Amino acid sequence: MLKIIIPSLMLLPLTWLSSNKNVWINVTAHSFLINTLAMATLWQMNETGMGLSQTFYIDPLSSSLIMLVIWLLPLMLLASQNHIKKETDYNKKLYISMLIILQTLLIPTFSANELMLFYILFEATLIPTLVIITRWGNQTERLSAGLYFLFYTLVGSIPLLIALISINSSLGSLNTLLLTLSNYMLNQSWSNHILWLACMMAFMIKMPLYGVHLWLPKAHVEAPIAGSMILAAILLKLGGYGMMRLSVILDPLTKSMAYPFIMLSLWGMIMTSSICLRQTDLKSLIAYSSVSHMALVIAAIMIQTPWSFMGASALMIAHGLTSSLLFCLANTNYERIHSRTMIMARGLQTAFPLMALFWFLGSLTNLALPPSINLIGELLISISLFSWSNFTILLVGTNILITALYSLYMLITTQRGTLTPHMINLQPSHTRELTLMMLHITPLSLLMINPKFIMGNTL
Amino acid sequence: MFRRVLRLGLTPGRPNRGLRTRRGGFILDWDAKVSDFKKKIECMLPGKQWGMPYDTSYLPPKQSDVVIIGGGILGLSVAFWLKKMESSRGAIRVLVVEQDHTEYLAVVDAPLVDLQFNPSGCLLLASEKNAATLESNVKMQRQEGAKVCLISPEQLQNKFPWINIEGVALASYGMEDEGWFDAWSLFQGLRRKVQSMGVLLYQGEVTRFITSSRQMETTSGEQVVLRRIHEVQVKMNNSLEYQPVECAVVINAAGAWSGQVAELAGIGKGLPGTLQGTKLPVEPRKRYVHLWHCPQGPGLETPLVADINGVYFRREGLGSNYLGGCSPTEEEEPDPTNLEVDHDFFQNKVWPHLVQRVPSFKTLKVQSNWAGYYDYNTFDQNGVVGPHPLVVNMYFATGFSGHGLQHAPGIGRAVAEMVLEGQFKTIDMSPFLFNRFYLGEKLQEYNIL
Repeated sequence: MLKIIIPSLMLLPLTWLSSNKNVWINVTAHSFLINTLAMATLWQMNETGMGLSQTFYIDPLSSSLIMLVIWLLPLMLLASQNHIKKETDYNKKLYISMLIILQTLLIPTFSANELMLFYILFEATLIPTLVIITRWGNQTERLSAGLYFLFYTLVGSIPLLIALISINSSLGSLNTLLLTLSNYMLNQSWSNHILWLACMMAFMIKMPLYGVHLWLPKAHVEAPIAGSMILAAILLKLGGYGMMRLSVILDPLTKSMAYPFIMLSLWGMIMTSSICLRQTDLKSLIAYSSVSHMALVIAAIMIQTPWSFMGASALMIAHGLTSSLLFCLANTNYERIHSRTMIMARGLQTAFPLMALFWFLGSLTNLALPPSINLIGELLISISLFSWSNFTILLVGTNILITALYSLYMLITTQRGTLTPHMINLQPSHTRELTLMMLHITPLSLLMINPKFIMGNTL
Repeated sequence: MFRRVLRLGLTPGRPNRGLRTRRGGFILDWDAKVSDFKKKIECMLPGKQWGMPYDTSYLPPKQSDVVIIGGGILGLSVAFWLKKMESSRGAIRVLVVEQDHTEYLAVVDAPLVDLQFNPSGCLLLASEKNAATLESNVKMQRQEGAKVCLISPEQLQNKFPWINIEGVALASYGMEDEGWFDAWSLFQGLRRKVQSMGVLLYQGEVTRFITSSRQMETTSGEQVVLRRIHEVQVKMNNSLEYQPVECAVVINAAGAWSGQVAELAGIGKGLPGTLQGTKLPVEPRKRYVHLWHCPQGPGLETPLVADINGVYFRREGLGSNYLGGCSPTEEEEPDPTNLEVDHDFFQNKVWPHLVQRVPSFKTLKVQSNWAGYYDYNTFDQNGVVGPHPLVVNMYFATGFSGHGLQHAPGIGRAVAEMVLEGQFKTIDMSPFLFNRFYLGEKLQEYNIL
């Protein structure tokens, strides 16, 4: 584990001590190297996982998420090069440092052995994200977006801290491995119900669950591209990961307490998908589609069956890559036209044919086209939800339909149609942008062939 | 030496305070500081609009999809149609920047717009040499469904006994739905409507465009520079402060100053005769309007009369007041740098023709005059609509040389269609495109005003 964390940490001196010409090259190249290193160490072949030390433990669930974190850092750096080039050198280095600190905090978050360590790192990741959103976002609304992001998450996490401390004092340890072996049964009392809520609410808000999702469209739209990418791809999955880890100690209360949240997720799925149909702002559409996909994950984790956990892990990874890809595509649009409205940029297929390919692939994976890994996730979740209750198939089916509708709507509005006169003379797609898209599509396509890496720890 | 050390040790901005003065600046004005701080904290609470620490509500937003330069009737009409044609509310962010705010007072909670349309008709008079053009015009208008008719001089004398038919060969008269309306109330009503649709109206002067350009070659091998506007810098009045507004599309509806705005974007910077060097030929021209009182005048039945030689007048209100003017010839163009009225102009140029056409106007008394600017198109006195071929995201809606008010709704819709759909859908306005200045094809209209 140290051989991943120390290089990531050392990227910080690398940024500050590199000469201004070489900063981007150095950091991007070295983060790619860390990628190759991590891939060699993290691919898991058995269900027991890798017990690396007394504090770090990687099981098949964490390994795919850590791999996603490490994969995303060079991609974020590639995506940010254009909009950050107008800043001073000091600001550029500061921006890169924020991204590096975020990665360095996220890697131990996903591999933490102790739940308390997990909590501390979970909270710590808020700070670099807040700095990225409020300092480097585009519009004045970014300040209120940062506020919403921070306080929504904090309101959920303080009860979580108290719950963890109380469990620690009653159980003696918060080690995730030991907890799976303990016989900690929560009986049906009021305080235990509140304990359940306290544990789960932080992660629900982070996912986000439909009722408390208000921070997400704001944060995603106002964040710069790297902020949107890391938010959509990883930070949302912190919630799912946390819920999966904590569900071992919350039996058997989950069976009764989960009902309202499953209802909220199922209903929220359809609501947010329908909002997507009415969206005119491209980034906002992708943000709401994130809420919709994550609602499926919440419902899956709540029902706690082996297949649903597999589907949830697969969908988390798949959605991370797809959402990040769509945000990068929207950003290439924004950098050229300085507008996020979809109708101002139409007929892009004639202007950027190769980018249209990536738009096409991104939209298709977003609507969970077979045989993409998005489909694997969604299918496993729908099947397990159906076995939990027959009625859910109606809601999940409707959601799949509406997801297809808005993905295709986004594709057709941006790509097809006549090119308006103010769209001539746009800069052709840079190689950097195409590389970025390719680096998103490659894992999505390759994982199609062998998806057991992303199926989580109940495979 | 001790004193010198101490003096140097004080804050760098106060070199000569000496030792006797105290740093009491901190506790002076304490109440103001506390209330300032409280205001800042209030802004931070959730639910409030937390913007910059100081008040920036007068600055336009930092990003807008469409920036319309010019908040006159054409600019507001384009804004209206853009907002009307968007698929859902709030889809496009439209910003209208208007330089002169003093005239256009905001009207709050005003009643319904009453345009005061007077359907008294328009009477166009033509001499022998213009009679054929007038006849073909009327035929074309009747084909489109307008109810106009041609009147011979004798019928004219019967219908309007106060008129002197000397020199008139033919006249056209609108029988239904033709007349004049109150432009001011239309403007105010449109402004209110546009604000309610969510368009942002700000005051400021566009001083600069941040553009990027690329050298490209046309099919005929000519080297052109394609330019794209990324940001519009809007300067506040009476201040050096400016706000850069990132935008996708800029619409030039700046009226008489469209030519200057176009030059800011680099239109016309090149060798004359090339597409690069074709300027936007719109310049401000001053025109006077005179209001006079004449109790013996034609009375309530007066239509808007447009005489052969360019003089026009119409009834204004119900108290025997009349409003009119005349377009000066090229040599007598008044100086457009200010809006001063030349009173001799009426005496020498307008009044003789008025008296000749309507003898009862001999006893008129001028009540007031004012001057205004036409966005005069020096090429063919007809408007420019649509995109510029080289500055790809600038659209024009200007140059109508005094007819902008009449055409405003149609032009607004045409430009909105061009921006949103890429082509003219309702009416094909391609003869009005910018290209005709380069190709030299004049779009002439037989008009006299």
